[in-house]
Amino acid sequence: MKALTIAPLARLPVAMGVAAFLFLGLFLLYPLWGVLSASVLTPDGTAFTFGNYARMLSRSFYRASVVNTLMIGALATITTTLIAVPLAFAIARLDIPGKLLLIGLAALPLVLPSFVGAYALLLLFGRAGVVTQFLNSWGVPFGSIYGMPGIVAVYTLTLYPYVLLPTVAALKAIDMSVEEAAQSLGSAPARTFRTITLPIVIPSVLSGALLVLIETLENFGVPAVLAEDMPVLSVETYKLFIGETAANPSAAGVLGVLLIVLTASVLIIQRRYLASRRFATGARVAPPLIKISTGWRIVATSYSWAVVLLALVPFFAILVLSFMEFRGPVLHAAFSLKNYVELFASAQRPLANTLLFATLAAGAAAFIGVPVGWILVRTRSVWTGLLDVTATLPFAVAGTILAIGLVIAFNAGGLVLTGGWLIMVLAYTVRKLPFTVRASSAILHQIDPALEEASISLGVSPLRTLIRLVIPLMLGGIISGMVLTWVTVASELSSTVVLYSGPWRTLTIVMFQALEGTGAGVAVAAASVLIAITLVPVLVAYRLLRRYELSML
Amino acid sequence: MRNITLQIGDGEFFTLLGPSGCGKTTLLRMIAGFTELDVGEIRIGDKRIDILPPHRRNIGMVFQNYAIFPNLTVEGNVAYGLKARKVGNAEIATRVADALALVRLHGYGARWPHQLSGGQLQRVAIARALVIRPQVLLLDEPLSNLDARLRVDMRGEIRELQQRLNITTVYVTHDQEEALAVSRRIAVMQAGRIEQLDTPQAIYRRPTSLFVAQFMGTTNVLTGVVGSRTSGPARVRVGAAEVQVADLDAREDESVSVCIRPEALQILGDGQTAPAGMAQLEATIANAEFIGALSRLDVTLAGGIPLKIAVLDELAGYAKPGKSIRVAYDPSRVIAFRREGS
Repeated sequence: MKALTIAPLARLPVAMGVAAFLFLGLFLLYPLWGVLSASVLTPDGTAFTFGNYARMLSRSFYRASVVNTLMIGALATITTTLIAVPLAFAIARLDIPGKLLLIGLAALPLVLPSFVGAYALLLLFGRAGVVTQFLNSWGVPFGSIYGMPGIVAVYTLTLYPYVLLPTVAALKAIDMSVEEAAQSLGSAPARTFRTITLPIVIPSVLSGALLVLIETLENFGVPAVLAEDMPVLSVETYKLFIGETAANPSAAGVLGVLLIVLTASVLIIQRRYLASRRFATGARVAPPLIKISTGWRIVATSYSWAVVLLALVPFFAILVLSFMEFRGPVLHAAFSLKNYVELFASAQRPLANTLLFATLAAGAAAFIGVPVGWILVRTRSVWTGLLDVTATLPFAVAGTILAIGLVIAFNAGGLVLTGGWLIMVLAYTVRKLPFTVRASSAILHQIDPALEEASISLGVSPLRTLIRLVIPLMLGGIISGMVLTWVTVASELSSTVVLYSGPWRTLTIVMFQALEGTGAGVAVAAASVLIAITLVPVLVAYRLLRRYELSML
Repeated sequence: MRNITLQIGDGEFFTLLGPSGCGKTTLLRMIAGFTELDVGEIRIGDKRIDILPPHRRNIGMVFQNYAIFPNLTVEGNVAYGLKARKVGNAEIATRVADALALVRLHGYGARWPHQLSGGQLQRVAIARALVIRPQVLLLDEPLSNLDARLRVDMRGEIRELQQRLNITTVYVTHDQEEALAVSRRIAVMQAGRIEQLDTPQAIYRRPTSLFVAQFMGTTNVLTGVVGSRTSGPARVRVGAAEVQVADLDAREDESVSVCIRPEALQILGDGQTAPAGMAQLEATIANAEFIGALSRLDVTLAGGIPLKIAVLDELAGYAKPGKSIRVAYDPSRVIAFRREGS
């Protein structure tokens, strides 16, 4: 009889946890292990060596790729923070017109593909760019946007919401009585801001800034478009892997491990250090707006709208350009639907693939992510902690590296997946899993666990309680996680570029290939379709997303 | 949680009472099946239930925050457990209607939980727990989220309902007044143990430990030493004063804690003598406050030991700080406990 008393409640989480670990173990940890072992094996794959690291790091080109990657990351993190913090303050505490619309527009760059933004910059300011040509025709010289300046500019304009949103949230969550207390103790408003308000929101600012840093380190699309000859880790890893012909991709492995070490360290700092330093103030009402003079109000309003609109200009430009005629790479100012006609003639299959993969990945990410989110919120054990770390890990792994790992792991042996669509969907599911996990746990924190106990004590088994009661209650969070997964998978490039094969090209691949060829018209049309594909679901589910996903940054 | 043996009678209203962290909720959750037993067993009647998963125990539970499913109507909430039992639709309809009528929520079936007040949600929670005809009803601090007046009304209602249905009930609370008002028997718990298990009157009047004496209402705790023991009440030296204790289990010169309830002390008027069988103490008034139905008096005994006195009604003018008074008490209402370590 004794055996029966073991964990009647624990069986369900154990079963779901084991399934989640199996999935993440097979499609995340095992591939990463493959990358790591590739980096420490000789090119023929037979002996252990640190020679690969020595060989790669002895070449100034690859040392430069590490330095460049870090430089770009650091610069972009600083510029996003400098732009976003004043904007956050204006939105949270000043009276500026059109604030609701402003916040809505400010969140959009998060879901718009940064790679499309980079491409827009190229079309506008590149060598054959519209603006460049216009300026040149007037004899005005225009500097190069290739390399670091262009990349940092694109990151700044597309990633600033990562800092903006948590900072706004933190500024609004400040209990106004602490500021009032400071002032009643004789502190002037400016001093109060410097000594009380700012220190309270700084952990949120830093936390967002570190997410920006991670994004820049692992991004593939932006440097792939704009870096040209400048080596950047994610791009060089990809080039090495595609070019490597030996049995063991040791060179790509080395760069991949370096990149993971960088991103993982930043993520660890972000989670461990900052998570515990958020000051919970728990204000019931947002602090009141600060009264400012008309002059300052105009300054604040123009600044806020300028930043938000500037970030959307590239995407708007793409939409406009897509209705113009390209002859080769050269643009002509004439309205035309030719680009779309060409796109739908040549890229129907990639469009269908994009929609299919996004849907499959969103479904799979929810199927795995929701139970994981439930386990993380509702159970406490060593295994829970381990599952939390494992499910957060995809944040720290660049898509390129995960894809290389998947190829190494499933290229031969018992389970061969390379060359098919499944490996792509698996890569997307693993990469975007944190979205559904986070959205599920965010909403579960708001659901009283006693509801589940009430259902069970009324005679409904734990599994049926989860399906019939908990999941319906979680629906808002689940949908928001799925929308974000869907949208980001549709514009995914970094792992797609490694994993795609002939019939399984996606829209992003069509664009990527057009960059090198002459199909600029098709690429612009594809980019516009991508913008529409990502924008429409986000606008439809905007309220849910704000509640469960964006606010959780 | 250790060494707990309890037998709760059929149809009994039984209360687990104690400060937060004493283990009362843990014990309730063990009965419900949400916390596991390391050792021991729980039976209902002859049937062992601790080996059953919680959804097979047929126990009705009312949660502290009611745990009303926000995605279901009142009807949907009450019908939830019946649907799990595959009860037919027609029967569900009648039983839900009956259950709602029982908690005086007739006609509220189609409402949504967010349209109801705290007291109404409480009733839905009770109806939902009762409609499955549980063998035992568990209530986990069900009144702690209600305001003071509603709490008093609701506890009477719960008690009345329990009597009418004659359902075995285990009630958890940290509020001693609530426990005294509704229970047939109370188990006072502390640090995972049962300190005392008895009727409300016995627990209040004859606490078996200093903890219970102090936890149940207000009491004066005086530290003293047992004097020479002869026939009659024991005499305990408290500072320069002497307190009589009718029933004392301690030897001479042993150190004891003496407990006297404020309402067991009675102020004697000038020239008035203590009634037969009562002892008396000399005291000086330190402070007096009038709080409505009662007046409270802080006095000091000879040697400066403070003592609280509760007097029904107001203190007709004689309570001036510094005034000397005499206080009478019944030695049988004084309780003493051996001090730990002595």
